[in-house]
Amino acid sequence: MSTQGLQMTQTKPNSGLFKRNPPIAGEAEAIEAAKNGDPEAFSKLYSLHKRRVYTLCLRMLGNVSEAEDMTQEAFLHLFRKLGSFRGESAFSTWLHRLTVNLVLMHLRKKGLNLVSLEETINPSEDDAPKRDFGSSDPILTGSVDRVALERAVASLPPGYRMVFVLHDVEGYEHNEIATMLECSTGNSKSQLHKARLKLRELLRQTGQTPQQAGLKEAAV
Amino acid sequence: MTDQNLPELPDFDTMTPADFERYLPDFFGSGNGRVSTDPRLQKFLKENPDCAALVRDLEAIADHARSLFEPTHDPSDLVWSNIQSRMDAEGGMIKPDTETE
Repeated sequence: MSTQGLQMTQTKPNSGLFKRNPPIAGEAEAIEAAKNGDPEAFSKLYSLHKRRVYTLCLRMLGNVSEAEDMTQEAFLHLFRKLGSFRGESAFSTWLHRLTVNLVLMHLRKKGLNLVSLEETINPSEDDAPKRDFGSSDPILTGSVDRVALERAVASLPPGYRMVFVLHDVEGYEHNEIATMLECSTGNSKSQLHKARLKLRELLRQTGQTPQQAGLKEAAV
Repeated sequence: MTDQNLPELPDFDTMTPADFERYLPDFFGSGNGRVSTDPRLQKFLKENPDCAALVRDLEAIADHARSLFEPTHDPSDLVWSNIQSRMDAEGGMIKPDTETE
């Protein structure tokens, strides 16, 4: 594998900062008005946050239909629970956590037992990442095409995808993920590692060359 | 891999690529999560270019994952229609909820 062309950000992967959203103009007023039953204000909250909530659901579930259903449930839950929001955390953070919890509940109802990640949602041998880390790989250096990465994430086994999205995309720490998924931090680390290995394998299968990947990213 | 029976840290001078693979999730999960710049591993990575390449790939994936944080997808209009219908069915009024956040 070439050592040339790495274009990666050098910031800490899980600073937790990137999951916090800055206040949105008009949001505080809309929250208060919506608490008082103003339907227009609730509509505004939906407009402000629908994309964020839906994208989160889509990333966690990897399925458009389920993601839309969970977006609907998240906002209905918000509708019912908005009165309990006291502003102790950012509204977006609160809504984000609410959504994550709903999705996890949904997955549990579907029979995806998240209590023991290793035993219950470990993928089959076919899905597991191959142990070929020692092979020389000419493909994955440099930029990773966003679209290819998105597709690869969507195709991850559910357990891998969940931990990867929560940690690498959403910025949760392993101890937070362990609490949410009711597993050990070691389990969370292990699942994340396997998810990244699987993604590496999937991205290599797409046949990106560093040059092609760079061109794709430059065109976005 | 994050095995409770593993010692806390391997011997970095005698570590084999297989050892490295076993400890890699913990290397990534500790400190700032950047294995490629961990001073304890510089000698090993220099002597084991395939391991270094693996680390670079996994770090690149983790770094690029953050680009997925930005919301890029919109739900269909049907979602809001359904929400409105359900809200109407529930009375259309938001009932104050006193539960804690």
